[in-house]
Amino acid sequence: MGAKNKRANADAVYAKKTVKSSNPFDSATAQSAKRQNPFDVHVNKEKFKILGRICKHDRGMPGVARSKALQKRTQTLGQQFAVKHKTNKFKDNRIGRHLSGDQLTESVMNARYLAEKMSQVRTSQKAQKFNLNDDELLTHRGQTLEEIEQYRDERSDDEELDDEALDADFTSAAHFGGDDNETSPHDRQVAIDEMIAEQKRRKNEIDKEKNEVYDLTEKLDANYKLLLPLVAKATKDEQEAKPPADGYDKLLKEMIFEPRGSVTDKLINPVELAKQEAERLEKLENERLRRMRAEGEEDPAASAQPKHRSADDLDDGYFVAGGEDDGDDTLAYDLDGNLGTHLNGKAPAKEASGDEDEEADGDDHGEEEESEDDSESEAENYSDLDESEAESETEEASAEPTKKKPKKEKPKAPATTEDSSIPFTIKMPKTYEDFTELLSRHAVAQQATIVERIIKCNDPKLDGVNRENVVKLYCFLLQYLKDLFEDASEQDIREHFQLLSRLMPHLYTLTQMNPERMSSALLDVIKEKFGDHRKNSKTYPTLDTLIYFKLVSNVYSTSDFRHPVATPTYVFMEHILSRARVRTRQDIAMGLFVVAIALEFGAQSKRFLPSVFNFLEGILYIAIPKRDADELVVTPPFDLEGPFSKLLALPATAESKALEQQKLQAADLVTHTITLDFKVRALDTALCLIQEALQMVGEHTGACYLASPFIPLLARLRLKPYPEHVHQHHREVSQLAKQLAEQKMKPVALAERKPKALRMLEPRFETVYDDKRRPKMSKEKEERAKLLHKIKREKKGAIREIRRDTAFVQELKLKQQLQSDKERHEKVKRIYQEASMQQGELNELARSKKRKK
Amino acid sequence: MKRRASFEGSSLTEQNTRRMRLQANAMLNASTFDPTPLAKFILNLRQKPANIDQNDLMAVLEVIFTNLLKRESLDTQALQWDSLYTETWVLLLDRIGSTSQVETLMALKVCMSLIKSEAESPFVEGDWPIGKLKSILEILINGPERTIVLKEFGKYTKYLDVLNLSIKFALELAPTGDYQHDTIKALNYLSLVNQLDLGKAVLSAQKYHVDTNKSHRSFTYEKARKKLNKIWRGIIASSNGIDEDLHRMVLVVLLERILPHMEDPIGVTDFLMNSLHEYDGPIALLALQGIFVLMQKQNITYPDVYEKLYQMFHARVFSNKYKSRLFYLADIFLTSTHLPENLVAAFVKRFARLALKSPPKDAVIMIRFICNLLLRHTGLQKLIRGDPLAEQVSDPYNEKEKDPVKTEALNSSLWELHFLQKNAIPEVANAATFINNPLPIMEFDLGPLLDVEDSRIFDDLLKSKAKQYMLSYENTKTLALAKHDTVTKHFDLV
Repeated sequence: MGAKNKRANADAVYAKKTVKSSNPFDSATAQSAKRQNPFDVHVNKEKFKILGRICKHDRGMPGVARSKALQKRTQTLGQQFAVKHKTNKFKDNRIGRHLSGDQLTESVMNARYLAEKMSQVRTSQKAQKFNLNDDELLTHRGQTLEEIEQYRDERSDDEELDDEALDADFTSAAHFGGDDNETSPHDRQVAIDEMIAEQKRRKNEIDKEKNEVYDLTEKLDANYKLLLPLVAKATKDEQEAKPPADGYDKLLKEMIFEPRGSVTDKLINPVELAKQEAERLEKLENERLRRMRAEGEEDPAASAQPKHRSADDLDDGYFVAGGEDDGDDTLAYDLDGNLGTHLNGKAPAKEASGDEDEEADGDDHGEEEESEDDSESEAENYSDLDESEAESETEEASAEPTKKKPKKEKPKAPATTEDSSIPFTIKMPKTYEDFTELLSRHAVAQQATIVERIIKCNDPKLDGVNRENVVKLYCFLLQYLKDLFEDASEQDIREHFQLLSRLMPHLYTLTQMNPERMSSALLDVIKEKFGDHRKNSKTYPTLDTLIYFKLVSNVYSTSDFRHPVATPTYVFMEHILSRARVRTRQDIAMGLFVVAIALEFGAQSKRFLPSVFNFLEGILYIAIPKRDADELVVTPPFDLEGPFSKLLALPATAESKALEQQKLQAADLVTHTITLDFKVRALDTALCLIQEALQMVGEHTGACYLASPFIPLLARLRLKPYPEHVHQHHREVSQLAKQLAEQKMKPVALAERKPKALRMLEPRFETVYDDKRRPKMSKEKEERAKLLHKIKREKKGAIREIRRDTAFVQELKLKQQLQSDKERHEKVKRIYQEASMQQGELNELARSKKRKK
Repeated sequence: MKRRASFEGSSLTEQNTRRMRLQANAMLNASTFDPTPLAKFILNLRQKPANIDQNDLMAVLEVIFTNLLKRESLDTQALQWDSLYTETWVLLLDRIGSTSQVETLMALKVCMSLIKSEAESPFVEGDWPIGKLKSILEILINGPERTIVLKEFGKYTKYLDVLNLSIKFALELAPTGDYQHDTIKALNYLSLVNQLDLGKAVLSAQKYHVDTNKSHRSFTYEKARKKLNKIWRGIIASSNGIDEDLHRMVLVVLLERILPHMEDPIGVTDFLMNSLHEYDGPIALLALQGIFVLMQKQNITYPDVYEKLYQMFHARVFSNKYKSRLFYLADIFLTSTHLPENLVAAFVKRFARLALKSPPKDAVIMIRFICNLLLRHTGLQKLIRGDPLAEQVSDPYNEKEKDPVKTEALNSSLWELHFLQKNAIPEVANAATFINNPLPIMEFDLGPLLDVEDSRIFDDLLKSKAKQYMLSYENTKTLALAKHDTVTKHFDLV
């Protein structure tokens, strides 16, 4: 109906648009079905208006609802009723048969068409298979496309439907007579006549205009159709016969298609860079500090801060020191938008892991610097620096085409000048034997380069497979270190340490690539070593174990209160220091090595390992030449008496007096015999380590307990045969120990806590009172009652629906019945009619016979 | 099983073993008895050829003789293998005396099982092969050091008949003369006595090695006890001037086996006192335990016991084998809430001091112990609940003072625990945090802590699966750390 209306009113609309007139009927339009008929609306009166209540049933449209329901029934029940006793069925097998309306998209239709076509091809004979000119009719909604074309009216494209309602002017003028002063009866008559004439005229004009336009478009279309093949041909040819691109074009294209650099931060000047770096480090440091703090040990600031604050907390000024400035932390968003990082420990941890990636990036760059350093120290040939620079850059470009990020164009003094024999891409060796073979062919410095290159070629960022490769490489390296150090001899130990030193950054990089896997690999090794040590706890483990400790110290955040790798290592070191017997030069050196590593572990957290102090006391003890009756005590593994209790004691000769100051040597870790110079060296190192250890714990209350045992030992040391630097260190240590031993302490007291406030009563909100007394029920029961109620209502609705369905069906049946009755009636009538006519004719005949007679 | 040297050799010996088994089966199943294979086995046992596993051979012989002894009919066959049986016994006894421990254990097992079969056998005269048991014991005592074999023998002394006879023979076989002349024999003898358990568990189990034979079920506790006392008198008589190991063994035997069944326990007081005063370390500790038992059961008084106990806690105690015994004793001694506070305070201070220098496991035990003591003696809580406004002082506690009452410990404060929170091992540091919080209501149970191994902390650490492995955020360029480097500062490695 709407569409018909449109067509009917199109002219009027046109007229109104084009010509402005004073005629009130200009804007007249018919009442549209879209408008809501006020008589259709049924309003349910509300007695009282209640604020906040949403009433859904204040108005309804019974007519519309009924018609909708009826329509729905005709579509469903009616259909069923129509095919009630039919034995055959119409089955829709088209693609997308469940779709309707908007869901039937172009692609679905195309698929449908294609399927149809395919089935046709399949069924038709072979001869027809390649027939292109099949005269198949395409249809759209039951009409052939040609038919549709025919009726298409291009003109309607730009037509608009305007407001079809009668506007106020018109109604006031036409229905209610308009203004009094303007209108008289005859005036009105004239006006209407005028109006009608005008209307007709305009209609004609518009028709004419439209026809003209239509003709013109038709013409244009025809012309265009003629032109079209030409145009298509031209463009195609043009494309094929393109003139060869000149340099400018090429450049332009290149510039267009060149991969654009990803958006980065603007170029930052060194100051900002330094600042950012400082910020990053500070953040990491804060993280570390948080981890360092003990689980049980409370952060003084955190403990001072109240755990819960009532809304009515008056904040009445009772503050423990430090409480005030942290008050804001209870609810605060940090820069990343995370809620109060002080409250939950997990969020920052996640952040940290995220940071690591950043860190990794940063480290790449750090590595470069490092290799720079290396080569600076190794190769002093700066004369050909410029050359080699250029070389290295090109080489690098060829060597690492797969590298994701273009490296920073930084002048890089190449390590490649020396290592030109090493290929740039090295495959990950399959077995450990291959790996050792690969490394054994090269010198120490080159071995590190090889490892570095393997890492670079197997970066997990490049390929997922590399994830396994790097883990394998790490395990190989661990094994390699073990093989190197396990039976290192005096000659090659230094070389091995050099290699280790070079490998350290790479081991770090490797660990960072996959901390979980690498750490568990290392942990497994340490576990195995610990198992070995447990079997044989009286002797020192092999040197490789100590190397793993050092690796842990370098790679992991050892200051953590509890760390999955560092803490077991700590325990292991404790076991070694407190159990393994000190008999040889190697034992002493190893013990001191472990002590040094333990001190590195605790350097930041300032945590102490008792056996470190015991061991250092023991070293002092064995350096004291004593008579039998001595009141000095020492803890195991050191012997109180016997030959091993004087291992490091110097004979009273003057030979040792002139010895130079010397650190402990790498060779000391592998030799057994104790020489004079070793004795001096070891004692000197022990003194230095004591000093460090005492400085480490110096700030804690109770450090005096660890410092005081050293005093008698230091005093008993016979310093005469020692060189001057030992005297010096001895003086320093003694002074420090005495200073710490005299530490004064406040008695241990419970940290002052805020007195427990009376519990504030939170306001209790009553549940909304709705004057419906429901029995109090448990939650489940209530839920169940609700559901039952729902079921009841649904049932009611369903019954009503069924009733209406029956009524509908009855109506249909009645209609059918009436229809068939009517038909029968008609038939009977017709039969009567025919019979009467026949009778009439017979009668006529009879009559005519009679007449004839 | 004996570990074989080479693969081919092992296959050869295995073949031999299999063949031996087949031969033995054939011989036992044959209708007429033919002793030749048996004689061959015995020859092998005598000559010890390299390609025959002696353990397997002994097992085969055991099967053969057990089966033969079971045979009812006492006919001419018996005469044929009787001599072989005696010969085998001699060889087996010889084998018990051998140096290889595996063989000795096997031979002992075979002998004991043969004794059982023989005693149950219907026709061999003399119901319980007493002489054989005696010869076994003789060899065990007179050989080289046999602690492990004797421990194995301990399985059989759970049987009352064996126990009874062993006690009897132990009395007969006791080494004459002072132990210091023949230490190994004495040690073996003491190990044997250490297996003679007259405890309630054994007596109430009522198990016998030989089930069928009723005649030797004459075991009575009273008789056995009397003999045990006699044995002890023998031991004490000859233990003059013995070395420390032997002395320790004597004490262990006394404490574990003899003291509960002693007729006159007061008699050993002198011995224990001497041990306590003359030695320190494990011997003193064991002696103290003995004295404690006497104090409990016999009501003896020993005035300086706390002083002695106090002195036993020193830095070297942690390498002691019996340290958990010491903690256990100390826990019992200090149970009473009526002890003077200054005495307990001295113990508390001493534990705290030692915890600073001890391995983590012991440190945890002592920290818990301190906590328990503070709970028992509420007056001591001033050690951790000082006056916050007090002056700073140095520790008035005198570590060197031997008398715990005079150590001024009560005027001190437990700074050590404060410091222990800085221990590197998280378990220790966490245990020490108890002073920061209100004290717990219940005491800690020290029992489970005392039993665990030293390496448990390591294992526990590895058991918990870590989620994050935090790395240090600075990559090191060489071996040296960027900050706080210690190793390369003092070692010239590269």
